[in-house]
Amino acid sequence: MKLAQLLALPATLISAVLAIPEYSEHLHLRPLPNGYLYAGFNFTASTSLSAYESQHFRYFPRSLGQILQHSDTRELHLRFALGRWDDESWGSRPRDGKREGGTGVEIWSWLDSGGGKPAVEERWSSLVNSLSGLFCASLNFIDGTKTTRPVLSFEPEGTHRGGGNGMELLHGTLPHEVVCTENLTPFLKLLPCKGKAGISSLLDGHKVFDANWQTMSIDVRPICGLGGDCRLEIQQTVDIVLDIKRSMRPRNDPIPRPRPVEELECDESKSYHASDTCYPKRKEGEMAWSLSKIFGTPVRGSCHVADGDESHDISLEVSPDRAVEVSHGGSNDTLASHEQNQLVRTMRLPDSARQHTDISLPQHIFQDSPHQNRPTLYASRQITGCGQERGGMHTVLHNPHTHQQRIVYLESLPWFLRPYMHTLKVLTHPTNSHDRPTIPLKPDQMYYTPALDRKRGTHLELLLTIPAQSTVELTYDFDKAILRYTEYPPDANRGFDVAPAIIRVLPSTHNTHNTSTAGNEIGQDSYFRTTSLLLPLPTPDFSMPYNVIILTSTVIALGFGSIFNLLVRRFVLAEEVPRSAVAVRVAGVLGKVRGVVGSLKGRLRGGGQGRGGGGVAVGVNGVAAEGDGGMNGVSSVVESRKER
Amino acid sequence: MALSARLLTLRNSPVLLKLPPYLSALCIVIGIAWLFILPLNEYSRQTYVSENAILPGQVHTYFGGSEHNVFRAYRQEVYQISQVSETDRLAALENVLREIGLKVAAQPYRFTVAGEDVEGANVYGLLRGPRADATEAMVLMAAWRNFEGEINYSGLALALTLARYFKRWSIWSKDIILLIPADSTYGPEAWVSAYHSTAPDITATRNVSSLPIKAGALQAAVALDYPVGPWGHRFDKLDILYDGINGALPNLDLLNTAVAVASGQMGIGCSIHSMLSHSDSYRDRLTTLAKGVVTQSAGQATGPHSAFVPYHVDAITLKTVGDAWHDEMSLGRTTESLFRSINNLLEHLHQSFFFYILLNANRFASIGNYLPAAMLLAGSFTVTALALWVQSGQVAVQSATKIGGTETRDVQPELEVAKIGDAVALVPAATTKPAEREMLLPAAVVLAVHLASFLPLYSLNSLHRQYLPTALQATTATSLLLPALTSTALTRRFKISKQQIQIMQSFSLLLLGTSLARLATLNFSLAFVVGVLASPLSFVRPLPGPTAALPTVLGKVGREYRYGLQVTIGLAATVLYTATSPPVVLYALCWYFSQDVGGLLLEMAKGWSVQGVYTSFVIWAVWWPAWVVGGIALFSGGGQR
Repeated sequence: MKLAQLLALPATLISAVLAIPEYSEHLHLRPLPNGYLYAGFNFTASTSLSAYESQHFRYFPRSLGQILQHSDTRELHLRFALGRWDDESWGSRPRDGKREGGTGVEIWSWLDSGGGKPAVEERWSSLVNSLSGLFCASLNFIDGTKTTRPVLSFEPEGTHRGGGNGMELLHGTLPHEVVCTENLTPFLKLLPCKGKAGISSLLDGHKVFDANWQTMSIDVRPICGLGGDCRLEIQQTVDIVLDIKRSMRPRNDPIPRPRPVEELECDESKSYHASDTCYPKRKEGEMAWSLSKIFGTPVRGSCHVADGDESHDISLEVSPDRAVEVSHGGSNDTLASHEQNQLVRTMRLPDSARQHTDISLPQHIFQDSPHQNRPTLYASRQITGCGQERGGMHTVLHNPHTHQQRIVYLESLPWFLRPYMHTLKVLTHPTNSHDRPTIPLKPDQMYYTPALDRKRGTHLELLLTIPAQSTVELTYDFDKAILRYTEYPPDANRGFDVAPAIIRVLPSTHNTHNTSTAGNEIGQDSYFRTTSLLLPLPTPDFSMPYNVIILTSTVIALGFGSIFNLLVRRFVLAEEVPRSAVAVRVAGVLGKVRGVVGSLKGRLRGGGQGRGGGGVAVGVNGVAAEGDGGMNGVSSVVESRKER
Repeated sequence: MALSARLLTLRNSPVLLKLPPYLSALCIVIGIAWLFILPLNEYSRQTYVSENAILPGQVHTYFGGSEHNVFRAYRQEVYQISQVSETDRLAALENVLREIGLKVAAQPYRFTVAGEDVEGANVYGLLRGPRADATEAMVLMAAWRNFEGEINYSGLALALTLARYFKRWSIWSKDIILLIPADSTYGPEAWVSAYHSTAPDITATRNVSSLPIKAGALQAAVALDYPVGPWGHRFDKLDILYDGINGALPNLDLLNTAVAVASGQMGIGCSIHSMLSHSDSYRDRLTTLAKGVVTQSAGQATGPHSAFVPYHVDAITLKTVGDAWHDEMSLGRTTESLFRSINNLLEHLHQSFFFYILLNANRFASIGNYLPAAMLLAGSFTVTALALWVQSGQVAVQSATKIGGTETRDVQPELEVAKIGDAVALVPAATTKPAEREMLLPAAVVLAVHLASFLPLYSLNSLHRQYLPTALQATTATSLLLPALTSTALTRRFKISKQQIQIMQSFSLLLLGTSLARLATLNFSLAFVVGVLASPLSFVRPLPGPTAALPTVLGKVGREYRYGLQVTIGLAATVLYTATSPPVVLYALCWYFSQDVGGLLLEMAKGWSVQGVYTSFVIWAVWWPAWVVGGIALFSGGGQR
């Protein structure tokens, strides 16, 4: 309801919006070097805002829609990720890293900011708790300590009325969350074909979670055509990188046993090559693969449910000279590119729901290694130092391009990691020089929200300009907080996860470097994330001996204290204490001073104070004893003083 | 009040005043005897795997079959690589790792030890756990040269084969780092220190480059030591090396896992400290214990794993020993199973003991059982120090009862009236009169001796290696002369009194006692050994001067041979004192282990400047000053009364 009111509806170009089918799905396949295969699934559904308001859902999932309505969410981005993208050999990231999350679960969303901060927090809490139930993830643990409000890192993707005023961005991460089948199943349930037909039938938990890199995303945003007809779009993506060889292992024998000797491929050029000595041959090219072998099943039928959906279901990005075979049901066909030397070949699944489709490629030896787009940036982040008291954060950002890049670097740290901002150093140096970075780099902008213990984590955002072909090192020191006994999780000695840093590369202004930033269209920003980190905190020994040691130490300390006291002190009668020479002298000086002061003030003050050096105790006690002596008659007060 | 009054009277009890030397001796005797009961069944325990997650030996190992062919090829390849120059070697190793499919990097380093440059480069490869999240890693290490300097052909080949084999599995929850350091001490040290720092500081003695590739927190490291050439050699047992720098030990669970996998799953016997035949008898257990104590007290690296332990990375070395029927595949399967177990870990190894003494591969004494030994030894010094302190405050009593000797009975002690509450008593004046302690001179002497200790510490650790034996000779000569000369100077020039000598000794022993007690919690063996060697210092009293009165017990005969007796006692004390001096003990050690003095000193210098071994600090800055102060007291002739 509110969403609809927020969105302006200029009543032109409605037809353009109508041309978008209400549901479409797409699978992009691209073999990667070293025997990997990238598979990007994309499912897009949309609904008009009027239908959404009146709770009329067709392809847009009702369960999610109701949560969004209840929590007044304007735009939602949810990510589940696992594994690492190998920048060096796989090149730039798919979809510019925009549909990618840090390890674990990441969520950010623009919420209606009406009602002030408490109302927003209420909505946020309601949103994460509902999503937690929907996706079987621990999203409900995203509380105030794990929520940040980034300023520069994210922009709304949808079209919002008022240019984004009246809404607030909240961002939360759960780096420790292990993404698994239980998250995939509800994800597939949101699709119209529920993973039973179409490309989603390939998504099997065993394969998806055996991937080297895997990320699932859900993005809900309102989009308005130029005419003003606004729709609410949900885009669900699954991006995976599979090891072709590992995925092709038969299901009944998944163990990578050593191959029989006959099957070993040996490098026979080695001088020592013999029947019992085999230097493994270097892997070249790409082995033969097919969809049904990699995913364990062919594509079952199709999911052409929406009207006007004429788009291609599957696209394959391989070199033009490779033969690609497609089998529909029983008939085999060759998939050729529509134009000569085009990298991408596309196909549409048959409408019949019963036909199975499979794509297979024969083994292929590359003439030259396939060209990969260089990533926009390389980043790595590590915790340094050892011991349980202090540590350091060390981030290395490397710009391989010949033009400078502006980036936003976002870190959200848990409160028990206490950074010292005065130790923050950003140093840069050209990559080709072997010296250590020495040139300080001044951040263009910096947003920093310090942590509050048990209430709020640290939020650090830096806007940096990384010079061409250079490396930037970002370091700071931190303290490790000591948690309360009950705040430790059951696996306390594992350490605590620190969320990945998020790096947004701002659109490049240099149009001349198209080739080097291929995959990153000019004017488009791209994202990537570092790996998450493990922070070891001082952990008490939660065991019985620990308690015994503590008790014993206390008893010993008590006993030792009293005995030590008796040993090093001598107890003598108060009158017998000789006044030390220093004390007498100091007392004399003080007396004189006091006399002068007294005469000045016109009155004398009673009671002496003798202070000074080794005679402190003597002076004070001696005077006190004199006072007491008269009272008691017998000086029973035993006076103690330090032995000299 | 009543309690303290009673304690006060106790303080002057003659029995109590005579007790400390006996108490001190008792502490030493019990402390030493304590170690001898540890091998008994009642005082040691069978090892057990404490961490449930490890599940040692529960997995099927598949390493074998055609992997053996690959292993033979890698062993030939390593042999060929060993024939080329060092730069080519690095490139070749990097190439092999890259072909296996690892992320490869190299790390050059340079250390300056005892005036000589040691340069080398580590090669390492990172196997990314396919589904791991880069937060944790385990290290498989095969040093190019093992600790004895032999080329580790089979160990390295096995590590390469295993890395290739591990690459196919998707079960790894942690990354695996295959580390090939150039040697077994400097290389691992350079690598592990760079792993834990942002950019290692370049100093005069140390230039370690940073690591381009890292992978989260290291959970454990296993080194393979199998220096067998290209034609192979079967082995009998696995010797498990576990001592870290400064006697720090890896978690016992890691050791237990290795033993459980090797002997339980693969049927390979395990030995500790090269005790190839261990009948589990009292004698063998005691020998193992003694070897363990000696190795730990040296604090030096014992293998490539040692450098990891101070960084709280549990590490062991598996070294093949003997000649029998186990082949490289058994070692490979052991390593595979061991890595599968480490991979199972959900938390950093923490469940089991970090302080233990092994008596056998599967028997240990835990800290609660052995620590009292070193603590008693340290306590003996503290007891003496306190006794000397009390004595120094009672000079009057001393002179009346002891030194006055023969005449005491005739003289009536001066009495005075003391009142406590309503009670009135006559007490000897000497008991109530406090003796003023002159503490400046003793404190200055102790401080000066401690400061002087940095001279041998510095010279023996930073001079060029060819001057090291000369430096030790000079230190020995100076050390032996220093006490006598200083005491002469103190008696002649400063007229040091008996009380001041007592205070000086008390300070020194107090320092020694507390230092050793603290050290015992860090490196038990070092504290124990130094405690035993320094134990005579508790009984050092000034040798009587020629004019001193003799104890009455000697009687008439004693008085007649007084001169001869004095010379004999003095000579015996001096010989004992010299024999227990730090430099003489160092020479004795060299003789006993038939090692070259220069070599020993070089090892110590290496440990000190590269790996931060503090054994030489303990010797020169803790034990040596105490020994010198003891000597000053011994030769002071009792001081001025």
